[in-house]
Amino acid sequence: MSYDKIFKGKRGDEKFYLGNEAIVRGALESGIDVYTYYPGTPSSEVGETFMEIFKEVGMKWVERSINEKVAIEVAGAAYARGATVMVGMKNVGLNVASDPLFALATTRPKNKNSAMVILVADDPQQHSSAVEMDSRYFLKIFKIPALEPSNPQECLEFTKEAFKISRELKLPVILRTVTMISHARSNVIVGEIKPSGIRDDFNLSKEVNVALRLYFLELKEEHIYNRLNQALEISENSPLNKIENENIKNKFDLGIITSGVSYSYVGDTLDFLELEAPILKIGFINPLPERKIVVFLKQFKQIFVIEENDTYLETQILAIAHKNSLNVKIHGKDPFSYSKENKLLSIVGELNPTKIALALMKITDIKPKIDLNQISKKKYDTLARNPIMCPGCPHRTTGYALQKAIKKIKLISGKNIYFYQDIGCYTLLAFPPFSFANVKYCMGSSIALAQGVAQTSESFNIAIIGDGTFFHSGIPALLNGIYNKTPILVLILDNGWIGMTGQQPHPGSDTRYYKEGSSKKAINLEEFLNGTGANVNVIKHYENNDNEYFLKLSKLIYEKSLDVINNKNLHVIIIKDECIQKTIKRQAPVLRYIDNELCNNCGICYRKFLCPAIDISEELVYIDQNLCLGCGICEMICPNKAIHREEL
Amino acid sequence: MNFDSYTIVVTGLGGQGLIRFLQILGNALMIKGYKVMTSETHGLSQRGGKVSCFLRFGNKLPAPIPMIGSADIILSLEESSILDVLYYAKPDKSTNLIISTYEKQQIDTKYPSLEYLLSVLYENSENIYFIPVSEIAVKHTGNLKAMNSVILGYILKFLPLDSNDLEESLIQHFSEKNLELNLKGFKEGQKLQSILSENE
Repeated sequence: MSYDKIFKGKRGDEKFYLGNEAIVRGALESGIDVYTYYPGTPSSEVGETFMEIFKEVGMKWVERSINEKVAIEVAGAAYARGATVMVGMKNVGLNVASDPLFALATTRPKNKNSAMVILVADDPQQHSSAVEMDSRYFLKIFKIPALEPSNPQECLEFTKEAFKISRELKLPVILRTVTMISHARSNVIVGEIKPSGIRDDFNLSKEVNVALRLYFLELKEEHIYNRLNQALEISENSPLNKIENENIKNKFDLGIITSGVSYSYVGDTLDFLELEAPILKIGFINPLPERKIVVFLKQFKQIFVIEENDTYLETQILAIAHKNSLNVKIHGKDPFSYSKENKLLSIVGELNPTKIALALMKITDIKPKIDLNQISKKKYDTLARNPIMCPGCPHRTTGYALQKAIKKIKLISGKNIYFYQDIGCYTLLAFPPFSFANVKYCMGSSIALAQGVAQTSESFNIAIIGDGTFFHSGIPALLNGIYNKTPILVLILDNGWIGMTGQQPHPGSDTRYYKEGSSKKAINLEEFLNGTGANVNVIKHYENNDNEYFLKLSKLIYEKSLDVINNKNLHVIIIKDECIQKTIKRQAPVLRYIDNELCNNCGICYRKFLCPAIDISEELVYIDQNLCLGCGICEMICPNKAIHREEL
Repeated sequence: MNFDSYTIVVTGLGGQGLIRFLQILGNALMIKGYKVMTSETHGLSQRGGKVSCFLRFGNKLPAPIPMIGSADIILSLEESSILDVLYYAKPDKSTNLIISTYEKQQIDTKYPSLEYLLSVLYENSENIYFIPVSEIAVKHTGNLKAMNSVILGYILKFLPLDSNDLEESLIQHFSEKNLELNLKGFKEGQKLQSILSENE
């Protein structure tokens, strides 16, 4: 399906593309050879699309790497050797990938076809991220060019421009998007697909590719004073930095500087306020075009800088105004004040036209026909809904079994028990009724977090981590714990896939059950862990689908916990219970029903176990057949044996 | 009706198929010559969690998020969910509020009463349409999954689209297995439109 949608179509055809799909098309129109990535919302569709079509479209290599650092390294060396490469990740992925990127940014491949674009998808409002972060500050640290599109059409065009700049300058170029760009869908006019220009007689000379002081300070000089300087010239002259409504004057002497998705909000907001103002739209976000900005600033008494998240543009524009002795009032989020009262726009959260309109009203005293303040004051008694795990989610079973075990352990040992969470659907176990979370940071952190408390107190500490996250970045922390003989319990919630971002495979996934699996080798987690000398137990649900599973799991957690507490051993339990979304694609679920003769409405299944498929109507408990996915745990935990399999 | 700039807000629960709904509608509007922009929410919108999306179109490219007080249609795939996005309704009460009567209760939480719901809806609009979408889907297609196609059929009368335009789009977006079901739902939705119009 993706092949037809993305690869077919000739110059001038109009498609209805997601921003992420437009990026794929833009890369194919740039002769891309290699794409490496780690899935993460809102960047995932780019990689998943490449993974689906790469053989058909004749690309050299596409991989869903084990983590973002590895993805950058695989692609980086391919770039050094003359490939046109792209790497994709979400905001926090860039943190993981940042170490190699410092060296990579300075290297200068000697091969003509070398080009590298790094897609970083930020997530203002952290719709689906562990933190809200603005990755643009990395641009200043790495000292590399970056472009930011403001709609799906620009996603395609800016991707092509990014490849062009990288190929010309031999610098990696970052393409920065945000959720509302990556996941916006719109009209996109496509261009021509370009064949690869990769050659096999490549040059990997150490003088430009090896990060060693001997060569590298000199190379860094060349990187900054030659290549980055050229990038600045491109930025100064690039149509990606453009002035709109240039000859318009308004009575407020106000001009607007913006970029990315904020630009599209500005357009709507000005229409709404019936205000006309010149706009400097920055598409080339690093290095900033100082001369162009100065020319723009000189025309106004007031400037409003509108950007998502941090004051990346605003801080630099303030500096540019000072450096050029310009007397212009610059409005924005004010990088030098942390007083919330006086902010026109907040540094926290996602922008939208309403916030921008309210800010512009403060600057201009315009009173629009529609009273935004009044509308935003209205409050309704809405039904609060927390995000919940799917019906049949194995993590709910694990959470419930853990809850049972914990009660007993507390009673027997009298210990305080603490939980360390990681990044995955199971993070939702942090909410009631489970509340299994005391400390949680980022991908792969849970196992080390548990060690920090275990080493400094007499408490009992449990790390909860998924299989995908364990492969991504949990392994070094576990080895650290084993080596230091730290008494912790590590629960690896092995659902077989990278569940949260769309059930993508990881190195441990069953190769029989995914498309490219036939060309992969699955890593056996149990064998791997046995090799580390850790105490490892494995418990499987689906393969031994017996009614005792739940009790066995709870008992196993209880026993191994006591061993951690009493004998100061580190224990790992691998809980193999597949992501239900993946299971139901292979086998039809065996739905359950409730025998209301036997049910006494104790509420265990819907209130304690919290299965969203079980509901109650006029004192009668029932299973919503449209929601039930047939995991069968309710049948195991029902004290009245009132839940049965669907009668065939 | 002004189709130079038109905004539809769609709200519901994760897993109700909002994204595909927007794709089908947006694609048809694009083919009709409009500049279309939809925003989708992916990732951690687990089944059951709240989801809101936007579809905007017109003669120039709209932003992915609209201004409050500016929606032409607010469509709620779950009854009380409309309360979450009611601030998008126009103060002149002209916004069409289309509400599925499907209620997803939550254990130990009070579901907003119909009296309350109606009172705030009438505060915000003179054009309120409740549709028993799931009943219609089940009755006429035998499958709840056709729910969104019923709504597509129903909202056709508000939009600058013909039945054929959306049918084409449905054909593009559904596999053969599910197509018939959805076309049937789509037809039922259109019939419903005429029944309600006659009663008006």
